[in-house]
Amino acid sequence: MSQVIARITLDEWDRRYEQLHAGGLREPSYGGPLGRHAVAGDRRLTKLTFDRSTAALRLWNFLLTEDERLAGARGLGVKLLGTMKDLGTVPVMAASFDDVVAFYPDGAWWIPCLMENEARLLEIADRLGVDESFCPVRAMLGAFVNQRHFPVPDLLTCSVGATCDDVSAIAQRLAGMGHRIAWWEMPHRRRPEPGEETVLLSGGFTAPARQVEFVRTELHRILLVLEEWTGQRLADERLLAGIVRANRVRAVLGELRRIVYGTDPCPMPALEMLVAEMLAIHFCSDEAESLRVLEELLVEVRSRVESGVGVLPAGAVKVFWVNPVADLRVMNLLEDVGGRVCGTDYMFCHALDPIPEDLPPLDALARMALADPMVGPATDRAERIVRDASRSGAQAVVLSQVPGASHCGLEGLVIGEVVRARLGIPFVEIEVGPITDSIEAGLRTRLEALIETVEAGGRP
Amino acid sequence: MICAGIDAGSRTLKVALIAPPSTKIVGSAVRDQGVDQQALAVEVLEALLSERGLTRSDVAAIGATGYGRRLIRGAGITVTEVTCQAWGVRACVPGARTILDIGGQDSKLVRLKADGSVADFVMNDRCAAGTGRFLEVLAMRLGVPLAGLGALSGQSARPAAISSVCVVFAETEIVGLLASGASPGDIVAGVQASIASRVAAMATGNLPEPICFTGGGALVPGMRGALEAVIGLPVTVAPDPQLTCALGAAILASRRQEPAGQRNAP
Repeated sequence: MSQVIARITLDEWDRRYEQLHAGGLREPSYGGPLGRHAVAGDRRLTKLTFDRSTAALRLWNFLLTEDERLAGARGLGVKLLGTMKDLGTVPVMAASFDDVVAFYPDGAWWIPCLMENEARLLEIADRLGVDESFCPVRAMLGAFVNQRHFPVPDLLTCSVGATCDDVSAIAQRLAGMGHRIAWWEMPHRRRPEPGEETVLLSGGFTAPARQVEFVRTELHRILLVLEEWTGQRLADERLLAGIVRANRVRAVLGELRRIVYGTDPCPMPALEMLVAEMLAIHFCSDEAESLRVLEELLVEVRSRVESGVGVLPAGAVKVFWVNPVADLRVMNLLEDVGGRVCGTDYMFCHALDPIPEDLPPLDALARMALADPMVGPATDRAERIVRDASRSGAQAVVLSQVPGASHCGLEGLVIGEVVRARLGIPFVEIEVGPITDSIEAGLRTRLEALIETVEAGGRP
Repeated sequence: MICAGIDAGSRTLKVALIAPPSTKIVGSAVRDQGVDQQALAVEVLEALLSERGLTRSDVAAIGATGYGRRLIRGAGITVTEVTCQAWGVRACVPGARTILDIGGQDSKLVRLKADGSVADFVMNDRCAAGTGRFLEVLAMRLGVPLAGLGALSGQSARPAAISSVCVVFAETEIVGLLASGASPGDIVAGVQASIASRVAAMATGNLPEPICFTGGGALVPGMRGALEAVIGLPVTVAPDPQLTCALGAAILASRRQEPAGQRNAP
């Protein structure tokens, strides 16, 4: 039986930190005990369990100090760009400029969870007319208003059109409040008609060449806005260099996912992997450091695999997970009931794929943007889920719905039907809001029943 | 040897006793839920045993299921309602391929493979409109006991249309219907059709036969007919439909006692 490195609580982490610190632990400037984040308001951390590696400690500290990093950058005169509803396109462009830091204001959707609603961001959004019929990403609106979670960016970009109705409405509200937003239009990706020039996109999708050209034109317009804003000219060579750097992050993350999701026993918990995957879309405001954070995780994972140790018992049921959870606790819950994540579609699989380096850079970015699983038909997304889940050897699929999210109402049925018909493995749909304490019994029952169904292996 | 299954559901706590290797229920009880599930479970179990001249030492194994399953100390195993329903139904309605379960505060659809194992399941515990809670609200509003709803629905000439998908708003509709002179029977039939529609919607058209109906909702006369009318297929009410889940838990607990080689694996 392989050795299991159990997840630890926040208190246990802080005790471990003291020992590590006394033993000469070397940390980056943002290091420190995790418990300080809970004291500062991220109370949800006290209800999570964590990987016990120093690599995971660094990952969490990196994530939870983003606001300090942004404030520090502003203090140094660096321009701050908020890239809304952008899953890995404009951040790559922005990181190619000097003295610009792009961040992802939409990430504020986790604040109600982390702070257990203490920040009242959702209530602020309510007062501005963006109520619970919207996705919890509306917390971003509250964060812009109370200005306690990130500095107000100097400029915002926002993709609209086929991306997300909720974010579009929130961004419109922000524009109405005087924030400068550079909008770019994302068409609904469609399959080419007979005779139309076709472009193959990552994820196995296709699009008419004219749609790729349209998005390229939109991105060029954004590029001109950024050039004017920064006073810098971004030649193709610089943008290509930026793409190459982004691809390094994606490559390390790709290797991390390949090993973690493909190895039994599982060498890294689902929660830390969720956070790690998120780095692909916005680099947590520091591309170079996100690469180092991921590399350290990769070293830890390789070491565990070599030693045959995991964070879960061998043979845990392999679950393909669709959509990120608003309450991080649910990733712990899956593992508590005997499951493990073997693959994911957190809505941005395209941001994990390498960006073509052999194409004109804007063309390459346009292709990646159009490969967003969320901007095409739900059947396309379902097909990619089926393909990825099948490759991962998934024994079950969990579709985690986001309450109020406009896409969830429609795509759930489609994904469920396609997964059931094509994979023939148990499939369950859950709904995860920012705080699930009051419905944990129901969530646990669904996940546990899913695991029981797989483990029964054809027997009741 | 006696094995016990305790189903700590959201509205009621059910206990079923079996004497393995038989899977026939030899004793059972149903009580409204309280605050202390553990104390209630002990009380109900011990009363049941006492009625039969038995004590806790005669109980070889206890299985717990239901939303409160993790609160039942002394249970040798805890298993979800989905798995327990499959085992319970397999024992009392062999060959069933679909379970429709309407409980006090949730409803479930469990599709079974030919061998009785769970193929997949869908649960609703976020909306009262497809659960027994709707019937309770209706009974309260009409001032009749739950058991009296069936007789009323049998008198319906034209079921009322309940357009709301939310019990809270549907209650307002019921008040309006009563005010406009609709008969209680038509209202009951309308509510039952509404519940049946919500439950059937979970199936998305995939309802392998035979279909077995379980849960407290199956005890309400008229619900089976309402389901059949909506889905257009025959539905069989399980014997002791409120106890199938507890029965499954008892069976699973008894299997835990058997050497692996002797288990009656399907």
